[in-house]
Amino acid sequence: MSRHVLQAVGLVRRYGGLTAVDHVDLVAPPGMITGLIGPNGAGKSTLFSLLTGVEQPDEGKVVLGSTDITRMRPDIRSRRGLVQTFQVPSLFPTLTVADNLLVGAENRRRDYAGGLLGLSAQGRGRVSHSIERGLERLGLAPKGPVTQIVEEVLDSLGLSEVRDTIAGTLPTGALRLVEFARALCARPDILLLDEPASGLDSEETAKLSQLLRRTAAGGVGIVIVDHDVDLVFSVVDQVYAMVGGRVVASGDPETVRNDPTVRSVYLAQAPLAVAGQSGEAR
Amino acid sequence: MTSIDLALAGISLGAIAALSGIGLLVTYRTNGVLNLAQGGIATLVAYIFREMVVEWDLPIWLAAVIALAVVSPGIGLLLERLVFRPLARRRASAAEALVASLGVLVLSLGITAGIWGLGSRSDAPSIFPNSSVRVFGDSRLGVDALAELIMVVVFAAVIGIIAARTAFGRQIRAVVDDRQLAELSGVPADKVAAAGWAAGTTMAGLTGILLAPRFQLTPYGLTLLVLETFAVVVAARLSSMPVAVLTALGIAILQSELKQFTLHGDAGQILTVLQSNLFIVALLVLLLAVPKLRELGSGDSGATASFSSRGAPPSGRVSGVRLRRDYLGKLGGGALLLAPLTFAPSDLRSAFMVPALALIFLSMVIVTGYSGQLSLGAAGFAGLGALLSLKLANGDLFGLPAIPGIASMFVGALFVAPIGLITGYPAIRRRGLTLALTTFAVGAVVSRFVFEQPTFATGLYLDPLSLFGWELSEKAFYVFELLCLGFGLLVVRNLHHGRLGRALLALRDHSEGAAAVGVDVRNLKLLAFTVSSVVAGLGGTLLVHSSYSFSADDFAPLQSLLWFTAVVVFGADSAAGAIVAAAFMVTIDVLAPAGSSTLAIGILALALGWMPGGLASAVRGLLRLLAQYLADSFVDPNQRAPRPVPVRISAVGHLPATTGITGSTGIPGIGSTLGAARAGHYARWPLSGNQLGLPADAPRLTPFGASLVAMVQQYAAAQTAVGRQQRAAGAGGAPRPAGPQPSRAGAGAGAGAATHPAEGGRA
Repeated sequence: MSRHVLQAVGLVRRYGGLTAVDHVDLVAPPGMITGLIGPNGAGKSTLFSLLTGVEQPDEGKVVLGSTDITRMRPDIRSRRGLVQTFQVPSLFPTLTVADNLLVGAENRRRDYAGGLLGLSAQGRGRVSHSIERGLERLGLAPKGPVTQIVEEVLDSLGLSEVRDTIAGTLPTGALRLVEFARALCARPDILLLDEPASGLDSEETAKLSQLLRRTAAGGVGIVIVDHDVDLVFSVVDQVYAMVGGRVVASGDPETVRNDPTVRSVYLAQAPLAVAGQSGEAR
Repeated sequence: MTSIDLALAGISLGAIAALSGIGLLVTYRTNGVLNLAQGGIATLVAYIFREMVVEWDLPIWLAAVIALAVVSPGIGLLLERLVFRPLARRRASAAEALVASLGVLVLSLGITAGIWGLGSRSDAPSIFPNSSVRVFGDSRLGVDALAELIMVVVFAAVIGIIAARTAFGRQIRAVVDDRQLAELSGVPADKVAAAGWAAGTTMAGLTGILLAPRFQLTPYGLTLLVLETFAVVVAARLSSMPVAVLTALGIAILQSELKQFTLHGDAGQILTVLQSNLFIVALLVLLLAVPKLRELGSGDSGATASFSSRGAPPSGRVSGVRLRRDYLGKLGGGALLLAPLTFAPSDLRSAFMVPALALIFLSMVIVTGYSGQLSLGAAGFAGLGALLSLKLANGDLFGLPAIPGIASMFVGALFVAPIGLITGYPAIRRRGLTLALTTFAVGAVVSRFVFEQPTFATGLYLDPLSLFGWELSEKAFYVFELLCLGFGLLVVRNLHHGRLGRALLALRDHSEGAAAVGVDVRNLKLLAFTVSSVVAGLGGTLLVHSSYSFSADDFAPLQSLLWFTAVVVFGADSAAGAIVAAAFMVTIDVLAPAGSSTLAIGILALALGWMPGGLASAVRGLLRLLAQYLADSFVDPNQRAPRPVPVRISAVGHLPATTGITGSTGIPGIGSTLGAARAGHYARWPLSGNQLGLPADAPRLTPFGASLVAMVQQYAAAQTAVGRQQRAAGAGGAPRPAGPQPSRAGAGAGAGAATHPAEGGRA
């Protein structure tokens, strides 16, 4: 299955007199990690909201593959393959880890009415229960694609041991991981990660970057917004640096790092960019 | 009357509504609680005031001083101390505070109805003389209106100055922003909150005393009047006092001005209703028009998870034991529901209400418990279902032919679906407080414009139900009700299981997170509202057939609030809780004087602060404790299986053991005992029938455990022996003496009880 590229074309978002995002173009190809950096108030979070569909741009468009998704709601974007995670992990606290992942895996279709009439997958499962059992004995356990994805993701992220744990009881590091797993279960073309490293210690952050690399190697495109400039530069394939709502530099990490504007912004505001993480308007 | 006269006539009501609005805003801006109990408190104080003047013959001024300077602020202080301070201390969500204030409303209604009855009184005293002053020309303004207007201006000015210009005002803002942080900075948060509550309830009391002489004094009527003034604070978007005051005066004057018009036909009827119900219409219109209220705090009032906290049913295959336990519970519940069939006819008739109410409560479980939407309009849907089915049966609906009784009930309930769908639309963009008020307003508007209108709701005949020409007896009707309830339970079950159930719970737990992974938030909300309205509609038709008549009072807007509170008290996410709640309310109303169930629900609602998941959750917790206790007395705690090693989940990859919260049971709060008791080897060994054959690492039994095991063995052995005797007798052989046959007993029972010792005993 070919994966889609995410494109932002001439995006503009104004709040009253303030132009938070000012004619921004961005391309996030599948299989690559795209970083978005900038000091507080640079417009990163607003741009992120425009990409996820939480906010609508005043001008410009967001395109996934060949489809203009600018006016689509976040859940429709997600079903089309543009899946996001949040700055504060947003799990479903009363569901188990496995159920959290299942929600991620099974909502690419919308036919909820079948469930209402009792025609859920579970119901069908009961009918074919004995057949399944027979196949199980032959070692041909026919797990539905949905369950299979969940089990695979649980396995590959090492979450099998907590699959039946209620998500609300997990520590922050685990919450991030489960949220990431849930996003993977939604089979994204493009993953939008909002500050995935916040709340993680340095060891966990290092492992996160490994995980991001692994995911990208699997063909998923990743867009990452983070204040942790070291993390961003260590893991991304390309960087967009924003200042005052505009993209001032873009390209491979080395190019952007050596860009005079970026250097001046980060040399002047380095402590601010790293320390003042929470103040940015969304 | 000229326009000016009409305007002047409207000023009094406007000023009272403004006072009510000021009270609501004061409580909200100091405590972050929109006090839904305002109406209940107003009514209670009005009744106390009347009691002092009429029954005790106290001078009016003294009674007013006692009511407004002692009773009203006293109620506020008590509420702050006993109900809302504990909630604020544990940083309860806005939704919990909302439900607590509903509890206070229900309790105050219960107290008023319990002491003074539900009847109306027309002798409420007025604190102002019945005279007027000339303003311009021949136009006169009542002394009461003038005094009320002065009060509004003075209160608004004083409160405005305190809020904006004094240190106390700053403290208030600090406490509302972050109570704990304010306390750390030396702000006496409790005192600030208490002052806010005292001021708010004093304004409520004043509203009640001023409103009572203008209308008949009834517990429900006056309460609803005050609730209608919520339009004022919605217009003020919960923040601006001048806007609230001006809106109150504006709506009241406009309502008064409408009196100079007369229209004929349907329009005339609508106009007549508008002439006395403009506030409730304004509430609905404003809620639909105002995009967002300026809610305090995190604006998390959409989070209902705090009182509906159960997760999805297990997605995998359920263990045999669990399944059997479920069936046992259902069988027991079913038997209890069938019990009324053995009752005397009059008691059976009382029991008719139970399945009907239970269905309405189930509709609230769907919307609030499973999908997390605060909906306070259930009575509206139920009433519409009842009314539409009755009209269908009478052949009086949109020219449709008359449909026989039972079919009309289902068709009528289905006709509610579009109305549920329309009500669901505002829910797409609204949450929590706004949604709760919107649904309440929908219910109130439907009640005023439909249920209370003679053209809609009179001349309807309730024919006895019949099926295939066979008239349903009372017992048959009850069975029919149970079948309907079964249908409702099936719907609820389907909404709670599988993919749909998980998606709804995801929506309830975190709607943005759900949308982020593709859950169709919009359509799910619409689905929940639509299905819920149909279930409520069916419940409503049954309710009408239970009481043999359609009465607008049965579906009054306040019923929604009472029912909602009952559902939350008994566990908003528990279908069983909904049925128990219905049975509870009906039983209490049958056994005790009218209004007692309201009082009981109110008291239980206030206890929600201590049992956040409602009674259902408390019972679940109690059972868990009991199981823990039994496990502890069964197995020597020192010899229990080792606790599962807590696991830490690293951000990436595998699971090195460093941190963790739950054990491998995966259930928070349950230690290893319960998990261990379920684990395989624990389950099997008592059934091996031979204590000497215990595995080396098996736990040592306590004396209680040992005697229990011995009993189980004896029982199992006796069963086997009996079976063998029977077989022997069947084969013509001599019966053998019954003696302990442990090894065979173990074999016999082991298969039936794969996982739990207790179950093994039963097998």
